[in-house]
Amino acid sequence: MTVMSTNRGTATRKGGGSSAIFKTLPLAPFSLVFIFFFCWPIFQIIKNSISDGKGHYNLGAYRLMFTKPYMHAFSVSLQLSFFSALSAGLIGAIIAFYVHKSSKSLQSGIAMLSGVLANSGGVPLAFMFIAAFGAQGGIVTILKKLGFDIYGHGFTLYSFSGLVLVYSFFQIPLMLLVFTPALAGMRNEWREANNSLGGSNLQFIRWVLIPVLFPAFLASTLLLFASAFSAFATARALTGGSVALVPLVIGSLIDGNVITDQANLGDALAVGMVVVSAIVMIFYGFSLRWARGR
Amino acid sequence: MKTRIFEATRYLILAAGLIFFVLPVASAIEFSLRGYGNKGHTMANYSWIFQQDDFFTNITTSLRLAAVAAVLTLLTVVPAVVFLHLEGQKFKRFFEFLAILPLVVPVVSLAIGAQKAMPLFVQNSEYELAFFYVVIAIPYTFQSLNVGLASIPLKTLVEASRSLGASFTRTVLSVIIPAIRGSINSALFLAITLSFGEFTLTSLLHWETFPVWITRVAQGNVLGSIALSMFSLIGAWTLLIVVQSAQNWKGIRLKRTAEEIELEEVAL
Repeated sequence: MTVMSTNRGTATRKGGGSSAIFKTLPLAPFSLVFIFFFCWPIFQIIKNSISDGKGHYNLGAYRLMFTKPYMHAFSVSLQLSFFSALSAGLIGAIIAFYVHKSSKSLQSGIAMLSGVLANSGGVPLAFMFIAAFGAQGGIVTILKKLGFDIYGHGFTLYSFSGLVLVYSFFQIPLMLLVFTPALAGMRNEWREANNSLGGSNLQFIRWVLIPVLFPAFLASTLLLFASAFSAFATARALTGGSVALVPLVIGSLIDGNVITDQANLGDALAVGMVVVSAIVMIFYGFSLRWARGR
Repeated sequence: MKTRIFEATRYLILAAGLIFFVLPVASAIEFSLRGYGNKGHTMANYSWIFQQDDFFTNITTSLRLAAVAAVLTLLTVVPAVVFLHLEGQKFKRFFEFLAILPLVVPVVSLAIGAQKAMPLFVQNSEYELAFFYVVIAIPYTFQSLNVGLASIPLKTLVEASRSLGASFTRTVLSVIIPAIRGSINSALFLAITLSFGEFTLTSLLHWETFPVWITRVAQGNVLGSIALSMFSLIGAWTLLIVVQSAQNWKGIRLKRTAEEIELEEVAL
């Protein structure tokens, strides 16, 4: 009796085991591509970054990374991400608020346009801005005729502030896309309650609107931060490397335009970028949970 | 009075936003129509585009790679997400986590790894790009499929099909695929647009595609490359708007069918 039941037990377990493998087969192609074309390269960067090129453990690349020129690049990258995320985040949130108060058809039209524009970073966008805001550009010429010589006042497109301007062209739409859903939770009754209790508009904004929307605002802005931090194509096409950003430094290391005695400096910088970006995404995760918890 | 001020601010903000987005586009189009030495306006820069043999070569390369990336997405991401919705509930959270990771790793970092980690036979084929495009697009394609499938009672449909005696293949072909066709389409469309515009990894791995070619050609002919940029931007925007409107329309219809199915379930 005991023997029989044991046998039956093994039989089912065996059957269950092989069919479980068979059943998870649809995950196999995804997993294989993911492991070979994502995990494996990442593993290689980490391995290279802590070796001396001959297979020995060595932290020289990181020591070099923590020296002035590279820390400067990280600092410029972080500042650019911060300012572009904050400005696009604030402007985007204000526009999103007024779009939310508009008619349904306008809302869906703007949602569609945002989806289109949020995807239009890259080289063509940089060239479009060179044509529009370059020293010869139409906007600049018209402003000059009106008496605003923006280039005379130290503005140039191929700089930090130029990058903030160009990034806002796809970051404001991205903000509209990710922040608008949070506004759907707003209730008209809150405003009525505020008014009937004698609250002013300013008080409503300060004590209701901002506290309620802040977590979603934070989450959306962190997403913009991450997208600005890893942006490469636009910055490369626009500045050609005159603004020292980490991705551009890595790019010129790969292309061999910059020679260092640390062959694996690029790997260390790449790991550095992953670490920064991972920290941002962890905060994003927390603030998203905070936003949804309401 | 208060509402009138509010309405005025609303119009002002929306108009300012509109100007911010329309002005650079209009100004760049005007610039791209300029003749050399600022002599009037011509279509010369646009006709120049079509005289470039490289234009056709590179646009075909980019389209081919985008198509391969779309097919690969269909073969890898689609089965995985469908499985996670049907039977793989316990793996779902883990795979959702995996699918965000390509967003955490900047493409530059992936590129430097790709340059060193890939075996030679992979490095020597331009199709390595298509595989990387699939990976870079995973956060978007996976998410779009995941959200799309959550709104369809897929499990109920499959169980119904199986209990009516349909075979596995039959269920896949005439139940699963038609039910999720809209989600598949939008995921593939995302894969195609992201692949077509990808510059970072492509240029760092020293391949030439359409976006990489635009930067190279800019060194010789600035006006031409601006015309080229406007051509590709406006082309992409038009395509995206057409596809999105078609999808919105379809989305409304799909939602209605989903609601009808739910109603029928309630009635039963």
